[in-house]
Amino acid sequence: MNALEVKGLTKVYPEFTLDKVSFCVPQGHIVGLIGRNGAGKSTTIKGILQLIATEGDVAVFGKNMDVDELAAKQMIGYVGGGFRYYPMNTLVSIRKAYAPFYPAWDQGKYERLLAQFDLSERKKVKELSEGMKVKFALALALSHGAKLLIMDEPTSGLDPLSREEFCDIVLQLVREEGVSVLFSTHITSDLMRIADDIVYLSQGKLLAACPLKEMLNKYKLVRFSSLADATAAKAIGVKAVKEGYEGLLPRDMQISTNVTVSDATIDHIIVHLEKANEGEWVC
Amino acid sequence: MLNLIRKELALCMHPTAFIFLIFAVLVFVPNYPYEVIFFFSCLSVFFCCMMGRENGDIAFSCALPVKKEHIPIAKMLVVFGLQGIVLLLVGILGAVKGAVLPAEQYVNQAGISANLALVGNGAVLLGVFNLIFFPRYFKSPDKIGVPFVIGAVVVFLLIGVFIVLRWATPLYSVTLNGLNSVNTGAKAAALTIGIVIYIAMSVIGCKLSMRRFHRIDV
Repeated sequence: MNALEVKGLTKVYPEFTLDKVSFCVPQGHIVGLIGRNGAGKSTTIKGILQLIATEGDVAVFGKNMDVDELAAKQMIGYVGGGFRYYPMNTLVSIRKAYAPFYPAWDQGKYERLLAQFDLSERKKVKELSEGMKVKFALALALSHGAKLLIMDEPTSGLDPLSREEFCDIVLQLVREEGVSVLFSTHITSDLMRIADDIVYLSQGKLLAACPLKEMLNKYKLVRFSSLADATAAKAIGVKAVKEGYEGLLPRDMQISTNVTVSDATIDHIIVHLEKANEGEWVC
Repeated sequence: MLNLIRKELALCMHPTAFIFLIFAVLVFVPNYPYEVIFFFSCLSVFFCCMMGRENGDIAFSCALPVKKEHIPIAKMLVVFGLQGIVLLLVGILGAVKGAVLPAEQYVNQAGISANLALVGNGAVLLGVFNLIFFPRYFKSPDKIGVPFVIGAVVVFLLIGVFIVLRWATPLYSVTLNGLNSVNTGAKAAALTIGIVIYIAMSVIGCKLSMRRFHRIDV
């Protein structure tokens, strides 16, 4: 059974449309939701959590959100870019208000997580660093037995060390507790480390929903000495770089000209596909 | 629902919600338009909503395992509780004033005396505020100013109407004025009518709020 199934999720705003987005999060997988700012990542997550009115179906461990929203939400831990709520309140007052909503709340686990994350409940939210806020949100989410973590850009605003530490924690959760994760970010280096699958959105359209390796294996990054060479090779999303021009080519494509070829990262793939503005299905 | 109400009390109450309850003692101020006491209750609702917005309370609440339409109910039930307390306090302190002070000091030159009819007037004011403010607020919880200004203007206009009635009509200047022990039946009837109006308007306000809040994008 999939931890999360999204089918035909659609939201129409006057100037933006999230267009029939469908993907799934297999149980025990970390799925990265990627795309540039305004691509529809947060709208997708809000739609999944029913924070906005959308069309389409969302099911969490088989429970449809329209039919059984409360039971589905019991299994979700939502981490919305750190903990931006109640800055003047102490962690203990927030926990006391939050815990009763979850019958499966495990106070012992919560205390162990606070100790692991080096968090003091006597502190106010505003006294926490950005990294600490993310950890507090994680502690709340995990202590009610969430089986699916949905995180909306949790690493934005974190320094590289804190991001590394956050990724380690997520990996540990998946390995030791079998939690499934949907993780939106535009810092794709984090995903290169921990993601199993990628969901790629561009201008509200789904362009890829596939294993990360499959996406990375589809393209290679090619550096050309001149724009004419790049054009002749039909490179995708050609852009000028410090020494020549750079673009993507299908990995299996043979190139005759004198070029430098390297592995494409998610960043490279997104940058060049967005540059090409092709809006075509990637994988 | 109980959990939501507990969360409201623990995280969403601005201190003025409780401080303004004490303003019920203003019934001891001689020659004061006592209906203004109920406006402070409306003001505390505004402060609580402002605090909720700064705290991201609506987004936090919507992510909890609760039905979306229960969120406005919980918020409004807490407000109804506080409004019930201020109505009760005004009634009790008005009665104490009538029992303690000489009868001539009980007469109010700025409006109706602090009696049961005043509590009825207060109930009408609060009911009207609930009907005007909450459906507009829950239609767009980020915009608190306009619903409050509209609610406050109507409340003050009504206060003006009550003051005019106090001087212009025998019903208000004689029958419903003065000590509770005089014309008790009429004052009790005014209180009952006020409470019925309060309940009706608050229930309508609550239903409209639920409907509008269900449609909004958080």
